[in-house]
Amino acid sequence: MTVQAAPFAGPEPRVRARAGQRISVQLALVLGAVVLLFWTVFPFFWIVLTSFKTPGDIMTVPPKLVFSPTIANYMALVIGEQRGQYASSRPDFPLFFLNSLIISLGSVLLSLAAGIPAAYALARFEFPFKNAIAFVLMSFRFVPFIAFVIPLYIIYQKLGLYNTHGGLILAYQLITLPFTIWMLRSFFMEIPLEIQEAAKIDGCSWFGVLTRVVLPLSMPGLSVTMILGFMFCWNAFNYPLMLAGRQTFPVTVGAIQFISYEQVLWGQMAAATVVAALPQLLLSLMVQKYIVRGLTMGAVK
Amino acid sequence: MSTASFTVQSRRRRRREKLLPWLLLSPALVLLAGMIYPFALGFYYSFTAYWLQYPKRFRFVWFDNYTDLLDEPLFGRAFLFTLGFTAAAVVVQVGLGVAVALLLHARIPGRAVLRALMLTPLMIPPVITALMWKIMMASTTAGILNYLLSFLGLGPVNWFGSPDGAVASVLIIDTWGNLPFVSLILLGGLQALPVEPYEAAKVDGAGPVATFRYVTLPLLTPFLVLVTLFRTMDSLRIFDVIYATTQGGPNDATTNLHIMAYQFSFQWYQMGKGMAQAIILLVTVVIASYLLMRLWNKASESTT
Repeated sequence: MTVQAAPFAGPEPRVRARAGQRISVQLALVLGAVVLLFWTVFPFFWIVLTSFKTPGDIMTVPPKLVFSPTIANYMALVIGEQRGQYASSRPDFPLFFLNSLIISLGSVLLSLAAGIPAAYALARFEFPFKNAIAFVLMSFRFVPFIAFVIPLYIIYQKLGLYNTHGGLILAYQLITLPFTIWMLRSFFMEIPLEIQEAAKIDGCSWFGVLTRVVLPLSMPGLSVTMILGFMFCWNAFNYPLMLAGRQTFPVTVGAIQFISYEQVLWGQMAAATVVAALPQLLLSLMVQKYIVRGLTMGAVK
Repeated sequence: MSTASFTVQSRRRRRREKLLPWLLLSPALVLLAGMIYPFALGFYYSFTAYWLQYPKRFRFVWFDNYTDLLDEPLFGRAFLFTLGFTAAAVVVQVGLGVAVALLLHARIPGRAVLRALMLTPLMIPPVITALMWKIMMASTTAGILNYLLSFLGLGPVNWFGSPDGAVASVLIIDTWGNLPFVSLILLGGLQALPVEPYEAAKVDGAGPVATFRYVTLPLLTPFLVLVTLFRTMDSLRIFDVIYATTQGGPNDATTNLHIMAYQFSFQWYQMGKGMAQAIILLVTVVIASYLLMRLWNKASESTT
């Protein structure tokens, strides 16, 4: 770190007149850091606070920092305490959570099953249309989701895939498959060719090379791809909004159900956002270093 | 005899090696076909009158859906808002991103913690981000954001109720979620910069501002273009945040092409028209990305 250029840091003993300037730069940096910290953390802090408030404590003038906390909002999420009168229209959050898990895991596993051999082919073999296939995969990144969702909605209605986990897992391939193939390809290409050739000489078939050499060596890349793919699926909102029904809503669409015509259930919605965001925050700790690489599909390392 | 069987065997092996990549690709290609087919079907729908409730009225209308848009007053507004929002979002986010990247690159206490923390908005679902801010952006001083602004002598802003407030709120929410991405890429760029130009600048007696202007910024250009490319693509298509907060309102002030295509197809069930708007949005994204990619090629050539 110290050898790298830091435009604002580092001593400049030659110019004494700049000492004052340096102190003010340091002050500006610390101030900037405080502002950045506040900007990043405050929304989380406030939402967690709101999720422990009773309806009477939420929208007050001025906003309340001190109040007697309640876990009623979380209880309502878990056991559906406030279902009552509008039982059929109340969000069923445990089900939404389970749906998110099923759809995200299913999508990632399907993408891995199809993506590992495909990425290996694209990383290791020369064949016609190779670049064209890689390009087509990348080009999905440009298409607005609505261009897929309109025809998918019509097709799913006809095929009976609407409002099913299977249909959603297939639609989510738009999110995970191109991502998985591009990521794995970039990880596979990092494995030295010599090791693979050596394994081949030792009598390994391509399958042996893949399963005994390439996959074990790219275990970190494989797990990063899985975790990030899972997170992208968890974040998905557009596809399930149109292709899922009440039985298959994931948490993202579920959280928005707390806004209805009669009222907005602020406290429960806050609790729902906390529950929906929590797995993401935990998972992101594991893949911190790879997030940029993942979001740019391997373009930036 | 032995040579003949050898050539047959090697030919067979060669053919198998030719087929192997296709065998490996086949599951992915099947899934890929399952993605291309709906898109192609949708493209075809964009040339048809397709009301979901009246399937019998389905007919091919050539370019009517596209030409009709010219008479649709909302289309012009939505198109301009799409471009204007993207321009504003890119300028704000890349501008702030440079500042944050420089901050995280400098030696400040608690830098590692700050870097880890500032990532968090990036990883949570955008729609959840939008709902979090929706709670904070209540229009009176009961909303915490207006309450905080009142200490600065500002507000109260009618966030989702007024057109200007709605545009600002979408921009703020989108910036909160994506600033970490911009900053991280630019930070990576800063860390990859060579040391020599800085030493030369020091020898020449350049101050921090001049160093930034004449050394850092030019060297960082490829990264700036790259991050602009990614943000442009996503800002042109922003949907989640608008849907969860303003739904395109008030008075269509935050209706972009994506929201408009959604309204035509899933609120009024005019699938052909919605699809035509989606195609126009796609073309816009492709053109913008193409221009930025050319710029990126130029920028990365000139610095290396």
